[in-house]
Amino acid sequence: MTETPGTYTESGKEEVTIPRIGVFICHCGGNISDVVDVKRVAEETGTLPGVIFSTTHHFVCSDPGQSLIEQKIRELGLDRVIVAACSPSLHQLTFRRTVARAGLNPYLFEHVNLREQVSWVSENNELSTQKAIRLVRAAVGRIRHLVPLDKRRIPIHPEALVVGGGVAGLVAVRDFAQRGMRVTLVEKRSFLGGHVARRHTLFPTGEDARAMMNSLIDEVVHHPLVTVLTKATILGSEGVVGNFHTRIRIDPRGVNEHLSNSNDAIAACPEHTANGFDYGLSQRKAIFLPYPGCYPPIPAIDWHLCTKCGKCVQAANGKGIDLNEEPREIILHSGVIVLATGCDPYEPQYGEYGYGVSPGVIRLQQLIRLLDPEGPTRGELPGNGKGPLRIAFIHCVGARQIEGVNQRQPDGRVRDYCARTCCTATLHVAVEIKRRYPTAVIVDFYQDIRTYGRGHEVYYEHASEAGTLFVRYDPYQPPRVERNPAGDSPLLVKSRDMLTGGIEVEMPADMVVLATGMVPHDISDLVFMYHCAIGVDGFLLEVHPKLRPVELAVAGMFLAGTCQGPMDITESCSAASAATSKAAALIAQGQVEMDPFIARVDETRCTGCRTCLTVCPYDAISRDETRGIAVVSEARCTGCGTCAAACPSNAIQQDGFNDAEVMAELKALLVK
Amino acid sequence: MAGPHIAQEDATAPGESWEPRIIAFLCYWCSYTGADNAGTARLKYPPNVDIIRVMCSGRIEPELITTAFSQGADGVMVCGCHIGDCHYISGNHKTMARMPLLKHTLIALGIEPERFVHEWVSAAEGEKFARLVREVTANVRRLGPLDWPQRMRERGVDHGMDLKPWGERV
Repeated sequence: MTETPGTYTESGKEEVTIPRIGVFICHCGGNISDVVDVKRVAEETGTLPGVIFSTTHHFVCSDPGQSLIEQKIRELGLDRVIVAACSPSLHQLTFRRTVARAGLNPYLFEHVNLREQVSWVSENNELSTQKAIRLVRAAVGRIRHLVPLDKRRIPIHPEALVVGGGVAGLVAVRDFAQRGMRVTLVEKRSFLGGHVARRHTLFPTGEDARAMMNSLIDEVVHHPLVTVLTKATILGSEGVVGNFHTRIRIDPRGVNEHLSNSNDAIAACPEHTANGFDYGLSQRKAIFLPYPGCYPPIPAIDWHLCTKCGKCVQAANGKGIDLNEEPREIILHSGVIVLATGCDPYEPQYGEYGYGVSPGVIRLQQLIRLLDPEGPTRGELPGNGKGPLRIAFIHCVGARQIEGVNQRQPDGRVRDYCARTCCTATLHVAVEIKRRYPTAVIVDFYQDIRTYGRGHEVYYEHASEAGTLFVRYDPYQPPRVERNPAGDSPLLVKSRDMLTGGIEVEMPADMVVLATGMVPHDISDLVFMYHCAIGVDGFLLEVHPKLRPVELAVAGMFLAGTCQGPMDITESCSAASAATSKAAALIAQGQVEMDPFIARVDETRCTGCRTCLTVCPYDAISRDETRGIAVVSEARCTGCGTCAAACPSNAIQQDGFNDAEVMAELKALLVK
Repeated sequence: MAGPHIAQEDATAPGESWEPRIIAFLCYWCSYTGADNAGTARLKYPPNVDIIRVMCSGRIEPELITTAFSQGADGVMVCGCHIGDCHYISGNHKTMARMPLLKHTLIALGIEPERFVHEWVSAAEGEKFARLVREVTANVRRLGPLDWPQRMRERGVDHGMDLKPWGERV
């Protein structure tokens, strides 16, 4: 191990500068001093070489405590400061700022963790005090080798990347553009709009969903600062906050704006598949356009389905369709990333409330498509041909599940959270059906009605007034959907009604509608790529639910909408605007400050063996072929120190954790 | 202020006053935070393990561990993020490669395998960290003091066994 030249060593040979160390031991209001004899720690460490001042304080992090540090630095000319208190993750930054205020380099400060790693985990005895003394002694050993460091400042690339073209992503993009920032929207599917474009009217205003989406999309796509990429998949990402380099594959659309008669081309296509836009209620072709007025307004080709038979090209007279277009890859440079990857409606398992067994059992999202005048049935519900339509709604399907009652999901989870939007959505639809089919019989099987939002409760009142019957079921004995032997309606829903003391009710139904919850969209590739935190429910996890609700733990990454948890459209849009604000605030700083613990090459020792090049996770080291030595890129180095551990000639050292510093700490711990 | 329960556990150890000295190298992002987590949860563990913080377990070079043993440590722990969780993408992959290799070497050099523990501890695994510390301390206490340089001299290996760290000899 090399000692830093000019610093204090045990032998005293190189004793050029003698440090003046101050040690401040915190009581933490008893949290530490109840277990550790802090007075003795201060006394014993006060006699260590280089320590010229040591004291205890009730709360070093308090204003008087910090003032004491500043005062002693000035008064005694301290050039290194040790605070032994709580965990460095709590107050290391506080004290670095304190010493900086007194004119000391903030990296000539050392934090000792006496609370989380001594007093809170140990019994009150002599051994705990001894451990505390050892830890402070180690800090004294280490701090003598510290050298002044400067925070690195890396410029932020003032451009944003938004992942996901649903309502949250679009709002985020619009907000970025309105702030005058260049922004790119990456959407994996062929068309923008997400789930909201598939709705008909929206609660609580009754607004036309598609009109709202179209005006939002219009605002976004025609903005000069916005780039929209559809059929674009994120393949990889490099870099950190301020400078992300995202590798994106853009699959060919196959169709361009020269296609004039798209209807003919679509009609000519011989291939069919279930139409995801209608949640599988209709069929679409391999060349398709989900709805008139969608964006981009030109059809796209589903390459999984297309056999390249060329019939569409013939129908289009050879203009506007290219079946041999190749995918291309781009690298996008952005300072921040907003994830708005959204959710999926819960897909019931086969046989869950008769789903998949009987065609009369459908999901709420499918019913909404059926009620849409532009939907697969032009807004008509299939009648039973006999009398009034009988519809049963079942709430909390794939939501608020109970372990042991509901079947585990394929991913091993139980969807035990409330999906929050399905109660209001169900009642909204029930009111709409009653308006169009006044004779319809609607029975609503629920656990609890949670119309929590502003203006949502009115749907419950309207549904009740319109004659919807409410049956409260016991979540431990959920309703059963069976084939109706009587034959007047194909289905029979049986449940216990908890409002009438648990008597068994039976309801023949033409249609059973499952109010299915929300599950996170599968973004495991992104989660892996960016190391995002995931909650127990499978949704992305924010840093702090109240104080930092739209930030991911990965610096420079933000969350918008239902990738974070169930939200209605209003909440998704607020979250998206919040995420944009936070991201824009970061970009407005112009630069990011990063810890200076980067690797440094001692050119006299480096043999150019390339070992460090192979271990660096960030490709931050290259070899200068003319000089035959390794060179560290300061901008790319994140300061893990892996290269320092691997270097066979000890030529690479990590600032703040160099061999001299860590060895001194280790040896001071083990002094007998 | 003598710790009565520790004194009792100490009954089998040679010498009344001997306490195991164990060094733990922890990465800052997962394992150090995991150890903090044990503190926040007020989980109790013996005060024999002293923690040295590094930014990434990939920084922990074998020399630090051999130095710890040669300077009088009775046990060494190395903890990092679980594979896939590394704050630095793949720093812990290098730890995963280095540590088993080092363990073989240490065993060959006369150090019982229980004295060197390499485990992954996430930021949420305070309980696991506390359990590891209890286990390692109990194992090392059972094995007794190490005094590695003396042990090597007994095996007839004298040379280099003051084990000045490599760099200091240069």
